[in-house]
Amino acid sequence: MMDLDFPYKLTCIAELSGHEDRAWNVAWNPTKPLLATCSADKSVRLYSYAFSTSDPPAFTLHTSIPTGHSKTVRAVAWAPSGTTLATASFDANIGIWEREEDGSGEWECMSLLEGHETECKSVAWSASGALLASCSRDKTVWVWEVHPDADFECMGVLMEHSQDVKCVAWHPNEEILASASYDDTIKLYLDDPSEDWFCFATLTGHTSTVWALAWAPGGGYLASASDDCTVRIWKRIAEHQWECVCVLEEHGRTVYSVSWGAAQNAKSTDGENLGWLASAGGDGRINVWELEEAPDATVKTPPKYKVIARIENGHGESDINHLAWCPREGLEGLLASAGDDGLARVWKIEAV
Amino acid sequence: MAFSGALTLTDLNDFITPAQACIKPVEQTNPSTKVNEPGAAATEIQIDASGSYYEVSNGRASGQKLQTAEISLNDCLACSGCITSAESVLITLQSHTEVLSFLSSNPPPSSSSHRIPVLSISPQSLASLAACLSPPPPLAEVLSRVHQFARTLGFEHVFDTTFARELALREHISEFEERKRRGEGALPMLASACPGWICYAEKTHGEMLPFIARTKSPQQVMGTLVKEWLSDKWQKRPDQIYHVTVMPCYDKKLEASRSDFYNDMYATRDVDCVITTGELDRLMREKGWDLAAPPPPSPSSSLTPNPFPTLLTHPGTSSGSYLHSLLSHISESSPVPLTLTTHLPRAAQVDLEEYTLSTPDGTPVFRGAKCYGFRNLQNIVRKVGRAAGVQVGRGAAGRLAGGARRPVRAGKADAAYDYVEVMACPGGCVNGGGQLKPAQAWLDARDPEGFARDWPASGVAVAGLGDASARWGDKAWTREVEKAYWDGREPAFGLPTPPASPKMGGGGAEDPLDALAGRVLADLCRPRNGTKSVRWYEQMDEEAEERRRQCFRTEYREVESEVVGLGVKW
Repeated sequence: MMDLDFPYKLTCIAELSGHEDRAWNVAWNPTKPLLATCSADKSVRLYSYAFSTSDPPAFTLHTSIPTGHSKTVRAVAWAPSGTTLATASFDANIGIWEREEDGSGEWECMSLLEGHETECKSVAWSASGALLASCSRDKTVWVWEVHPDADFECMGVLMEHSQDVKCVAWHPNEEILASASYDDTIKLYLDDPSEDWFCFATLTGHTSTVWALAWAPGGGYLASASDDCTVRIWKRIAEHQWECVCVLEEHGRTVYSVSWGAAQNAKSTDGENLGWLASAGGDGRINVWELEEAPDATVKTPPKYKVIARIENGHGESDINHLAWCPREGLEGLLASAGDDGLARVWKIEAV
Repeated sequence: MAFSGALTLTDLNDFITPAQACIKPVEQTNPSTKVNEPGAAATEIQIDASGSYYEVSNGRASGQKLQTAEISLNDCLACSGCITSAESVLITLQSHTEVLSFLSSNPPPSSSSHRIPVLSISPQSLASLAACLSPPPPLAEVLSRVHQFARTLGFEHVFDTTFARELALREHISEFEERKRRGEGALPMLASACPGWICYAEKTHGEMLPFIARTKSPQQVMGTLVKEWLSDKWQKRPDQIYHVTVMPCYDKKLEASRSDFYNDMYATRDVDCVITTGELDRLMREKGWDLAAPPPPSPSSSLTPNPFPTLLTHPGTSSGSYLHSLLSHISESSPVPLTLTTHLPRAAQVDLEEYTLSTPDGTPVFRGAKCYGFRNLQNIVRKVGRAAGVQVGRGAAGRLAGGARRPVRAGKADAAYDYVEVMACPGGCVNGGGQLKPAQAWLDARDPEGFARDWPASGVAVAGLGDASARWGDKAWTREVEKAYWDGREPAFGLPTPPASPKMGGGGAEDPLDALAGRVLADLCRPRNGTKSVRWYEQMDEEAEERRRQCFRTEYREVESEVVGLGVKW
């Protein structure tokens, strides 16, 4: 099963069962030892784990939130504070969840963001936590401003895509939003302080649906996963210009997910380590790529990339719907996955 | 977002994108008693060169012609299968070609089946036409040129819709008083003149309908004036008049098609056909009419006397001044002097403004807002829903675990509105989807300036922001149309406002506008005491009040979603 030619290996350290239908999404809490999963069974499950940088942490079910969404919960996202969770559902709503302060520990829906006409596909918090973005099959991307008391104000309704919008992702340190769509394109948006949010760039190149996006931790690159079985890497070549600099082709089926994490104990050999990129999809394969920028790289020089670890059939015969690197310091080597088999798995990457 | 001045399908979804395909089931009664011969194969459907459908039995040369499925605007308005844009497919029912085809088939006036063609044009349409001319002529001049053109087409009367708006504003104030003072109806009251907003609310925010004013829009008040009041003056039946309006907005076509504005007795609509400013412009081009050229002077007698005052101005906003007419009214009828404060919740965002009227001791007596554009509209829906404690939207709210939401914090920012002037288009009606696009020459002349001024100043690098010029162009163009709308006058609003806004009671010499409005009201409502003029804010007898509701108010209906998202790739 494992390809021993790779310098790293992925080991499954936890198999999280309990969802009664396909698992769509996994989200690591950025500040607390909690992992959230969501499913077509309309529930969100929260798992806690013991923090340990040495031993593989053990995962236990913390709670299961029935959500009340009337359809599939397609995506979950933690606010940077780690106290608020957002859910995106096929019932066209975005739910905002916080833990009761009265000691009962119940997770409560604090707010419901309505406006999308049809299935919500993705939800994302900006790096500062001040903004939330959502997208839907109604072809729109909405930007919300977070106000006190779980109140939200709509800051923009972006109708740039001509088809279903699959994913939204915020730049790690600037207020730039990216969206990916069934129309095969990626759009980038900025806020004009005196007016509205607007699309400043459309990235074309994929020849089929773009399913997922992941910004490099440093913000200089964007990765996109597509139904054309490739992952493309887009590089910032000017303040508002992004160009495709490489096409990663190591998948035989649709790539549904990419996650870009900071490499654990990243060692720079001869350039700047850009972190680890994990990709997975319909072929059940998980690829972990190491990307590195040459020291003499010019603006348009592509990064060097290679697969450093691989797992075949990560969820058996099932599609892998989502991947996420743990963002917490010391735990950057943990990768979570969600599959059509209803399971979430946690993988640990280690040098062979 | 770019707008087109002419009818193309893609331009019609002003701000609301299509959601689902048309789901209206096509019913066909099949009276055929034909018995299939044993063993005969099934029939198939063929389409001939003209696009007709035929049911053809195997082995036969000719088939039976099938009925073509027809979907009316009313079917669309009663369906939530899609929002706005599939209706657009049917909007061809109301087009400038439809107007021409009516005029060419209209029998001569001597014939008993002759219908009097009447054209009513909105002031926003006049402003759009004016802005396209260099230098923009006064609106009265544009109206006069349009009048001349319309007469060449065969229109016997041309009006602007500002007197209808005057009446709509008076009725709007009456309705607000009913809600605020007499507690008859929900607050905040939300403006009812924007058909895009009405359509959206009916389809996705049924919980907002009690807040929306029942007052008819100026277009529909104009419809009543023409088909009820003028027809009476002219001693014609409503169906002996063909009423065309020129509007800045495609959704006005849908508004005119509502069953509420259909006269069953005479099988006629209050507004028979709505064309957009862009369609009028296209009509003039097709007929070789140059709006830029002053028309040959014609003896004024050739223009029929106008029963209505023309081009009344209503200071405040270019979308009808609904909020400002309330501000004036409340200020004028207040026993103590009131002061007006304005607040822009988002700096430089002119589509969202808050207005507060306060007594000398600082107590607010009225809080209103102007809220334009789809985005601001979303926040108003949320805010009104929260403040009034109603469930917003028709999603899973309330079924969510936990249920109880935190009570809304009572802060100054959260104080509830009494009134909101809601318009779906950013910039309001001057920027309607049916308005003219800026001329290329105008764009060429001004864009670089816009770049130099706007972009670097806001800290955004110009390189790679190709879309920005188009966006700036739209905004700047809207400002040009806005300027033409105000016709060189100051749009600035003050309390109290000259010219006189609708007055409540009061003595002294009667204002001619009050007098005419009072006569129209008396003529239409026929109060039992036989008076020839009624003050707008007076209560009449119940039967007269009922007629007043029919003439000046309307109803809204929530449209239930029947759409099930089947067979869709997620």
